[in-house]
Amino acid sequence: MRPETWLEQLSHELATRGLTPVDVASIVVELQGHLTEAGGDPLGVFGSPAEYASRVAASIGPVEAPVRRPGRPRIRVRDLAMSYRRRPVLRGVSLDVRAGEVLLLVGPNGAGKSTLLRIVAGLTRPTSGHVAVSGPIGYAPQSGGLFEHLTPAEHLVLFGRGRGLTRARAQREGQHIAAQLGWDAMSDGQVVGELSGGTRQKLNVVLAGLGDPDVLLLDEPYQGLDWESTRRFWELLWAWRDAGRAALVVSHAHDALDRVDAVMELGVPSREVAR
Amino acid sequence: MRDIDIPSAWLRGFLDVCLLGMLRQGEAYGYELMGRLDEHGIGPVPGGSLYPALLRLEKRGDVASEWRAGDGGPGRKYYTLTAQGRATLKLDVQAWRAFSGTVDALLSDTGREVAPR
Repeated sequence: MRPETWLEQLSHELATRGLTPVDVASIVVELQGHLTEAGGDPLGVFGSPAEYASRVAASIGPVEAPVRRPGRPRIRVRDLAMSYRRRPVLRGVSLDVRAGEVLLLVGPNGAGKSTLLRIVAGLTRPTSGHVAVSGPIGYAPQSGGLFEHLTPAEHLVLFGRGRGLTRARAQREGQHIAAQLGWDAMSDGQVVGELSGGTRQKLNVVLAGLGDPDVLLLDEPYQGLDWESTRRFWELLWAWRDAGRAALVVSHAHDALDRVDAVMELGVPSREVAR
Repeated sequence: MRDIDIPSAWLRGFLDVCLLGMLRQGEAYGYELMGRLDEHGIGPVPGGSLYPALLRLEKRGDVASEWRAGDGGPGRKYYTLTAQGRATLKLDVQAWRAFSGTVDALLSDTGREVAPR
């Protein structure tokens, strides 16, 4: 059979088996290269187009859940306690977040979720207990953390400098992360004070991701984002996780439960607190 | 050319680790890997097994690929080992060493017990 005919039939067979056009093109061009270099009758080398397509489809599908290989712990919290005006906010909290893992913190208001993030970030001193973090941290606070009178582009430079990035690199990296959230950070000439809540939240996430931190602390990172931006946020977070980062996320949204590797519930109000 | 006949079922099981092992030495494209398997006495591996195996490794994240212009012909798809692929290879090599050692031991033990008639 002529290679052209064989490859044409193969594309068709691959497409009917549900492969994406990108995969089909990639497979066909690779085999075309093989036939150009090695010669031979494609029927003899690869078998019939239908057989070959079935073998390809069998080898890549059904899509398996990726094998999770959690790495070493990046965040380690042991017996953490925190009291605020003699009222216990956190009591005996222990957790590990490993490289390549997203841990979601849930719990009622006042359960100490944001406080725990601040302690891990090193901003708040715990009353007792032990916290160890390995690697640079990117922290997105729930509110604030931004300068009302600076533009997003100025934030990128300012935060990037703090992480040892040049002005150009900070803007390029920031723009890249923002694009993944469906936002053009550089063209927003407005100062942050004039931006919508959702856009400010995107900026917070972008700033947390600047400079490739190993550890991400995200406090209600997608509150106020629309559905599409929320989806993009999760894809970005999964890409970060799959690149080996550890993330500790606080969220009230129920959909978050299914999208993380582990969930920890804080501060189910105990009798001592209520008393 | 090969002087021993490797059952195709074995090949299916060990093609992945062989491919990862060869990529440890650096990037390569499909036809090149096929030649190297043959040189090592494992091949010739049918093209119908090799490319789907590479695709599977790529989808699994153990290898990454990059297209480069070929000499006049269509582009070549070069494969490289990812960090994850290195980790997979390490585990697979350990598993293979342990397994092949066990099979060897079993065959020697049972071999000794066969009484010649």
